[in-house]
Amino acid sequence: MNTVLFLKELKRNRKNTLIWSSIVLGFTLMILSIYPSFSHMGEDMVKLMSNLPEEYAKAFGMDEATWSSIIGFYATYYGIYITLLMGIYTASTGATIIGKEERDGTAEFLLTRPISRGSVAGTKLAVLLTLFVIVYAVQTLVAIAGMTVFADTVNWDAFVAMHIHGFFLIAFFTSAGVLMGSVLSVKLNYMGPIVGLIFGTYFLNAIASASDAVGFLAYFSPYHYMPLTLEQGELMIDLWACFGFSIASAAMLVFSYKRYLKRDIVG
Amino acid sequence: MNVIETVALTKSYGQQRGIDKVSIAVKKGEVFGFIGPNGAGKSTTIRTLLGLLHPTSGSALLFGEDVVKQGHLLRQRIGYLPSEVDYYAEMTSRELLHYHADLFGITGAAKKIEDLAQYFELDLDRPIADLSFGNKKKCAIIQAVVHEPELLILDEPTSGLDPLMQNRFFELLEQRNADGTTIFFSSHILSEIQRMCDRAAIIRDGEITAVEDITTLLSKQMKKVRLVLQNDDRPELPEGAKHAEWIGNKVHFDYVGPTQELLGWLNQQLVLDLTLSEPDLESIFMNYYRR
Repeated sequence: MNTVLFLKELKRNRKNTLIWSSIVLGFTLMILSIYPSFSHMGEDMVKLMSNLPEEYAKAFGMDEATWSSIIGFYATYYGIYITLLMGIYTASTGATIIGKEERDGTAEFLLTRPISRGSVAGTKLAVLLTLFVIVYAVQTLVAIAGMTVFADTVNWDAFVAMHIHGFFLIAFFTSAGVLMGSVLSVKLNYMGPIVGLIFGTYFLNAIASASDAVGFLAYFSPYHYMPLTLEQGELMIDLWACFGFSIASAAMLVFSYKRYLKRDIVG
Repeated sequence: MNVIETVALTKSYGQQRGIDKVSIAVKKGEVFGFIGPNGAGKSTTIRTLLGLLHPTSGSALLFGEDVVKQGHLLRQRIGYLPSEVDYYAEMTSRELLHYHADLFGITGAAKKIEDLAQYFELDLDRPIADLSFGNKKKCAIIQAVVHEPELLILDEPTSGLDPLMQNRFFELLEQRNADGTTIFFSSHILSEIQRMCDRAAIIRDGEITAVEDITTLLSKQMKKVRLVLQNDDRPELPEGAKHAEWIGNKVHFDYVGPTQELLGWLNQQLVLDLTLSEPDLESIFMNYYRR
């Protein structure tokens, strides 16, 4: 890893990271702060929920437990919004962090310095990992603080499972972004394909959950293997899924890394 | 010792031609010209030497080491001036040049950067995005020379520079060359090659057409002959005369061949007036291309 490049890349990405982190953190705080108002509605919310179509509730992972605990309430939004937002940020950064130099024409400058291709790619991926960990860790810490402030009791086991699943899911999308950046044209605007991938697979899982007739669609969505919502107020860590996602993410990164080593910088 | 040595270096992009079996050797301390029109393969050769492109076949050595395997170590000893300058738009020239110095791990760069910026009259604190092409080129020149490389690879180095700056740049190159720097000078402007280089390779359609000393190139090449004869008998022109045009008793033609033979032929004519033009490199260049 090249320290000079690492620090320069962090600096170049700081504004973008700050903006996305603020959105994710603001959203986390907003969700947790409105929970007390919902919880006071108690029985009324449960009645309202029972009037919702069963398919709708299933699609978005809602049940009676959703409104009876802060973790159930948080889980609904964590799955729909927070992992999606973080995934879009880290995947789009992953897609452009290496290719941006080519698109902007600065790859010629960088790659004619005394740094190996491997070091450039490794350093850029280290920057990506750092940005991902910063956004993820800060969001998790704010969520812990918010839970503690806005609820008397929290099912921390479910919280840990949800965030570990979220971590591997976002890591998977981030690696998919890096892979996209390595195989697609550097001139492409990656935001469309990335948003399509993340939202598409989310809704694929939601549709599959809503109806048994199309239940098989869930197998094509990473959300199926990394559940983020609670069932009967509980969520367990799926270690096999975590292992599988680690292997898949690592494979995408190694493929992209190897491909970059052989890439021609045409200019 | 050869600082640059390529043997049958080939780069193709699928069906598209890049360069084909390029073999050149540049000696230590030499200023070597690389002449060819746009699209001839000059930049492809340079980008392959720098590791930006991977050769399809053949080999390329810098300082005796393979550019593919040892590229990043070799680049520590190279200064590269690109033809097109694309730098980080959000940085100032000062930030870019310090970033460059940090990546090269050179100490005491600040003073050298200041001195070079003063020499080339470059405002270091303006954002690169606001710089004209000429000023970006000045920034590129500074980054190519500030770490005092053993080998300078220059790709169309004077594009965008005004004549005053071109002259300062050439003086700097002459000074660096006198200090032992080897220079690989790629250009389609032949007067620059004529001024700077000891030898030159001519590249056309991705292939090396000739590698010659500049003096040899000049001496054995075409001369422009303008002649006014005493009558309009129109004698047979000497072997080696091309593109002849007669107007009455006046003729002008290009002559390629031994000067002695031309003088012998002229001696047999009744000449009223004669003009022999020295060949410039443009003519040599075109002459090679017509072969």
